[in-house]
Amino acid sequence: MAVRSAGRRPLSLNNRVMLFVGVTISLSMFLIGHLVLKAVERHFIEQDVGELKVITQAVEHTLQKAVNRSLAFSDALTEAVSGHHGVYFIVWNEDDELIYAPEDTGIAQELKAYTPLEDIRPDNLYNWKSNGNAYSGSVVIKNIGGRNYRIASAINMDFHIKFLINFRRSLWLIMVVAGAITLLAAWYGVHQGHAPLRVLSEAMRNIHADRLHVRLDTQTMPSELKPLVDSFNRMISRLEDSFVRLSNFSADIAHELRTPLTNLITQTQVGLSKSRSLDEYRELLYSNLEEQERLTKMVNDMLWLAQSEHGLIRPELESLNLIVEVQAIFEFFEALAEEKGIALVIEGSPVTVQGDRSMLRRVISNLLSNAIRYTNTGEEIRIQVGQEEKGAYISVENPGPAIPPEHLANLFDRFYRVEPSRYRDSEGAGLGLAIVKSVVEAHGGNVSVASEPGRTCFTVSVPIS
Amino acid sequence: MRILVVEDESKTGDYIRQGLTEAGFMVTLARNGLDGHHLAMTESFDLLVLDVMLPDVDGWRIVQSLREAERQTPVLFLTARDSVDDRVKGLELGADDYLVKPFAFAELLARVRTLLRRSAAPVVTDQIKVADLVLDLLSHRAMRGGRKINLSHKEFCLLELLVRRQGEVLPRSLIASQVWDMNFDSDTNVIDVAIRRLRAKIDDDFEPKLIHTVRGMGYKLEIDDGS
Repeated sequence: MAVRSAGRRPLSLNNRVMLFVGVTISLSMFLIGHLVLKAVERHFIEQDVGELKVITQAVEHTLQKAVNRSLAFSDALTEAVSGHHGVYFIVWNEDDELIYAPEDTGIAQELKAYTPLEDIRPDNLYNWKSNGNAYSGSVVIKNIGGRNYRIASAINMDFHIKFLINFRRSLWLIMVVAGAITLLAAWYGVHQGHAPLRVLSEAMRNIHADRLHVRLDTQTMPSELKPLVDSFNRMISRLEDSFVRLSNFSADIAHELRTPLTNLITQTQVGLSKSRSLDEYRELLYSNLEEQERLTKMVNDMLWLAQSEHGLIRPELESLNLIVEVQAIFEFFEALAEEKGIALVIEGSPVTVQGDRSMLRRVISNLLSNAIRYTNTGEEIRIQVGQEEKGAYISVENPGPAIPPEHLANLFDRFYRVEPSRYRDSEGAGLGLAIVKSVVEAHGGNVSVASEPGRTCFTVSVPIS
Repeated sequence: MRILVVEDESKTGDYIRQGLTEAGFMVTLARNGLDGHHLAMTESFDLLVLDVMLPDVDGWRIVQSLREAERQTPVLFLTARDSVDDRVKGLELGADDYLVKPFAFAELLARVRTLLRRSAAPVVTDQIKVADLVLDLLSHRAMRGGRKINLSHKEFCLLELLVRRQGEVLPRSLIASQVWDMNFDSDTNVIDVAIRRLRAKIDDDFEPKLIHTVRGMGYKLEIDDGS
């Protein structure tokens, strides 16, 4: 048997699973990391917004208070956001005069350039860097005591940024470690998952030609492997069946050949043991010839069956009217049937099939000669030809004793005989029905038998086209 | 009639030569394909009997050369292989008939005679006579000793075959094939019964007996002169 090679060996099951798991884990880890980072960053920004709003509000409040009480702005504002660290604010009046600024004037410079915002939101904060520090800030205009003031606030972001960098680093580290652990776990899981396969393989290794009765236990197998084990068991059953049949067949051949060979050897040795008349020698040769012809026929039939078993028998198809073929067979058997006082009856309607004329005639002839053998004088053999949904059929029905049901299934086996005592019947070697079966199967059809007291019927079905 | 037999199996070759020689043919036996090929191409034969499986030049090669040289000598193949492909190949290459080993010598002889007869000009007759048996081929009627004999259609065909090939031993398989068109080995004794019934009509009431059983081989029709 040629094993088809597809060129490249497919990826091992283990690697397939690992590849899949690896890709999935990397993707989900990346996604999770990305989302967490985004969320943390957004949280910080929202915190900044809140803080900027609070500062702005505090400054506004202080301004209001100062206006109400007519205090000096700068004194009041110095205390406005005390207690907050890294927080700055600047206030301008309507005429762009600086009312208050922290010591670090770089912040005032930067914020002065920005356009005032309607509202402080996470997406409109101003971010900038100066003197190696990062800042986030906002500018709003507030009306206090009938005058507009520009209030700018800023927060030092260094602390946040440092935190984010550290956080990102540990996050990715955790992700990579977690991914690696998951992959290892998956690898171990797959390896463990394949353990039943290794057990199965070990069990299969123990099956040899002489131990074909061994069956694998489906109970101890995981449910996924049950169909495989079932199929394997069925395969072994079929093999065992064929094996038994093959060895029986060899035994049968030896048995069938032994009788004619014994006859040949015995009669030749006896014949040669002393001088005999010419007629006696002639008789010996004739007797030998008869045995040899029996052997020849047996060998030819067996060769034919062996060929058909290997699919070497290919029917030469032509259109055949089954009624016409049966009638031709009837003409052939006419003399024999008349002599035995058996009537041959054909019933049915014309059916045309594609078949090999010579082979199908052989089928009908074998079935008919079989029927004639078991039919008594004065009875009739009925052949029906017709068409059913499966295709065309020919049935050969003869009266006579029923074939015991236990024999029916084996009737088409080579050398099978219902009565072993009928061994070496003058006609045939027990291959006739086996040939029928092989011919019908070569035509894509099937043959069956039904038997009851007083009636035995063989039915051959072949497809119409 | 000259026949060339090419057969490498020595026992088979010897017996085919002896059998055909005793049947009245002039037989040349070649024991390998090369000699056979040479003889077939250089000498003139009425028939070639070729083994397909030869160690050097096989039977197919010989018949191919023969047909390429436009020589129409009939060829009968002997082979141990029986597959449709082989048969088709043999017939396509120009073989005229095909016999699968193991075969009966009577079968071989009958086929040889058929092939030789086929290559000879057919004799057209309306009537055949053997002793006092007269066959009218047009009306399909048989008379013996002036008495009309009632025969069925197939019985007449059987008798006609025996008469046309009188003196030849006809194997049962050949009779089944020629009379009933049954081209397979039948398990039955149908032919024996048919011959027995024919004999009852032709021979039982008459002398000399015409139809003879040749044990282990078949049947022949011959004027038995009592010797």
